Amino acid sequence: MPRVFITGLGFVTSIGNDAASVASSLRELRHGFELYPPFQKPDIPCKVVGTVKGFTANSTDPEDWTWPSRYAIKRETLRSMAPHGLYAHCAFLQAVEDARLGPGEVSNPETGLNAASGGSPFLTHYNHERLLKLGVMRCSPMGIVSSIVGTLNFNLVAAFRIQGSSCGFSSACASSAHAIGFAFDDISLGRQKRMFVVGAEDGNVDAIMPFAGMRTLSLQTDPALASRPFDAARDGFVGTGGATVMVLESEDEVARRGVRPYAEVLGWGQASDGYNVAISHPDGAGLALAMRNALRAARVAPEQVDHINAHATSTLIGDIAEARALRAVFPQAAERPGISSTKALTGHGLSLAGVMESAFCALAMREGFTPGSAHISRVDPQCEGLKILRETVPQAPGIVMKNSSGFGGANVALLFRKV
Amino acid sequence: MSEALDPNPGSSKSFVALAKPFSPEDEAVLRESLKRCSPSTFEAAVQYRKTGNPEHVPAVVIGIIERFVEPDLRTKLKDADDDLRVVEDLGVDSLTMMEIVILVEEVLQVSINNDELRNLRTVGDVKTFIDCKIRGLPLPKPTKFLPIEHIGAIMPVQPPFLFLNEASVSSTAANGKYKITGQEFFLQGHFKDNPVMPASIMLEALGQLAVLYLLEGAPTEPGKIVGPNTIFFTGCEGVRAHRICRPGDLLSLSIKPKRMKMPLATFEGSIRVGQEKTVIAEEITMTFGFVDAPAPAAAAPAPASPPIPAPAPAGGSGPLNAALGGA
Repeated sequence: MPRVFITGLGFVTSIGNDAASVASSLRELRHGFELYPPFQKPDIPCKVVGTVKGFTANSTDPEDWTWPSRYAIKRETLRSMAPHGLYAHCAFLQAVEDARLGPGEVSNPETGLNAASGGSPFLTHYNHERLLKLGVMRCSPMGIVSSIVGTLNFNLVAAFRIQGSSCGFSSACASSAHAIGFAFDDISLGRQKRMFVVGAEDGNVDAIMPFAGMRTLSLQTDPALASRPFDAARDGFVGTGGATVMVLESEDEVARRGVRPYAEVLGWGQASDGYNVAISHPDGAGLALAMRNALRAARVAPEQVDHINAHATSTLIGDIAEARALRAVFPQAAERPGISSTKALTGHGLSLAGVMESAFCALAMREGFTPGSAHISRVDPQCEGLKILRETVPQAPGIVMKNSSGFGGANVALLFRKV
Repeated sequence: MSEALDPNPGSSKSFVALAKPFSPEDEAVLRESLKRCSPSTFEAAVQYRKTGNPEHVPAVVIGIIERFVEPDLRTKLKDADDDLRVVEDLGVDSLTMMEIVILVEEVLQVSINNDELRNLRTVGDVKTFIDCKIRGLPLPKPTKFLPIEHIGAIMPVQPPFLFLNEASVSSTAANGKYKITGQEFFLQGHFKDNPVMPASIMLEALGQLAVLYLLEGAPTEPGKIVGPNTIFFTGCEGVRAHRICRPGDLLSLSIKPKRMKMPLATFEGSIRVGQEKTVIAEEITMTFGFVDAPAPAAAAPAPASPPIPAPAPAGGSGPLNAALGGA
């Protein structure tokens, strides 16, 4: 089976819009939170969001949007995008440049694309309102392709002339981790030579607010305290949007092109809780099984894992479930691996989270550090017995695991190795 | 087919714009809808909505098309003739066509059916179509595009005396192109060592286009067609040549019927090379006659519909096919 490497990354995130600024935010534990202006109303209980900077995409008309001038996007490409499509398009251009891919290496039958987003509730809302008000024939012909789940793959596959496999993933907050896992499979089974993995979310009012009804959002008004996974005083997650694009390539392609990869993807595993539609299994049973499946598939012993980028979103139940699963899988959990959740800096990117945080792992391995878990003043006693990194460690981990869990009890664990 | 006329007389017969006064709120909505169009487009739309005068409609329609065309192609639209093709020349794909239609509907307050959209190939088609909608007139027959093979198959005139490479024919006009190759036999003598397209031949080319119109676009009586062998030249008036044409020039010919009453049909004609005025003929008159339409071949598996060349831009023959395809 051909080995699989990460050869390019592109970021539009709350903590930076390129690899260099993301790396320095991770290293220095600098968060991307702000009091989000649309939330500063008495009837909206949560206030903080991990905001995307340098873009404005708060209009329903894409021609009103602004983005950094280094990205050229034509109207005919823009018109069918959701806000997160814009973020992803820009991150895609970055990743292509970062991986040093020519047009023929992006568009060919052996290069595919896996994408994950929750769609655009923002544009769905707008289109349905228009439909009810003006009638169906006055709705934009782009209404569907710009808003439904799948808008991300539709737009990117068309814009970048992807000819290989393409698919959208919809397992909520595990979506883009699934997208990486299946992209790995496509390459290691020899079906594709190269895969783009894309995660993105609008991260605006319509995308984040509905979680308030589930009582899962942090109500903190201090941006520096709102997201604090594993901390005893955590009170929910902080929403974020943006996009991350990761380029995966077979070892032959890496050798042929002579590029220096960020890291190797060793394998992955998944398993389901079979428990509750929205609540994690109290012992993290599905996540523990996913981690074991990943270790077995990648032929890695638990003791070999140096670092875990946890799913931990800063919710009350979820963080404890993951802590229990980690203690169950790693017998020496108090000494190693070192655990952190970068959601303390970015917030929870939902469908974007898996690939964004995997990209963080890859970036940290190449840059030679292990990001700490920020904003913890007292570790939740139920999360004790784990080596939670309170500060950044100035060494790159050798082997990293990335956990992701989504609604329905979907769990994915990915394993990466430093090269 | 165009016979499927608008079954929705309510929206087209009476000028909706006049039925209801144009309020400042309407103007604000209109301004928002047209915010990416030129100021003159907005002005024309306001005038139309205030007065219901269809003369303002072409400016609105062209202004809306312009807004959806990529900036580097907009110059084509500036001095557009009516045979400028929306898809092939302006790069408008089927989805953009839908965007154009939705905005036209909104601004002019008309409803356009999906079926009606299929035949709108040229800027002229769009203008004529909207004009008919607004005035409540029957919709014209769709424009037929005829490649050289098809022209050769139906015309009584044949090479080397056929001066049309391609043509489009609607019920209101015919447009054609002819490229002067330099191989035309008469250029050897016209003139010695100085090949110039004879003005008489350019007039002939216009006449040929009028013949094509009579055969393909002109209204006929039931069960009758215009007989190809009944058409002859009778006269012309007000012919002026403005430009010397030589090998390499591409003649853009157009004719429009002015009067038509058996057995005479009178046209106005003009030729351009690029944007340059080349030949004007105020009147070209032909005589023609009807013959019985051939009985339809009962056993023919496929009706002999003209082979319309469909460049199929985004996977479909008409604009809407592509818009609806691949859902």
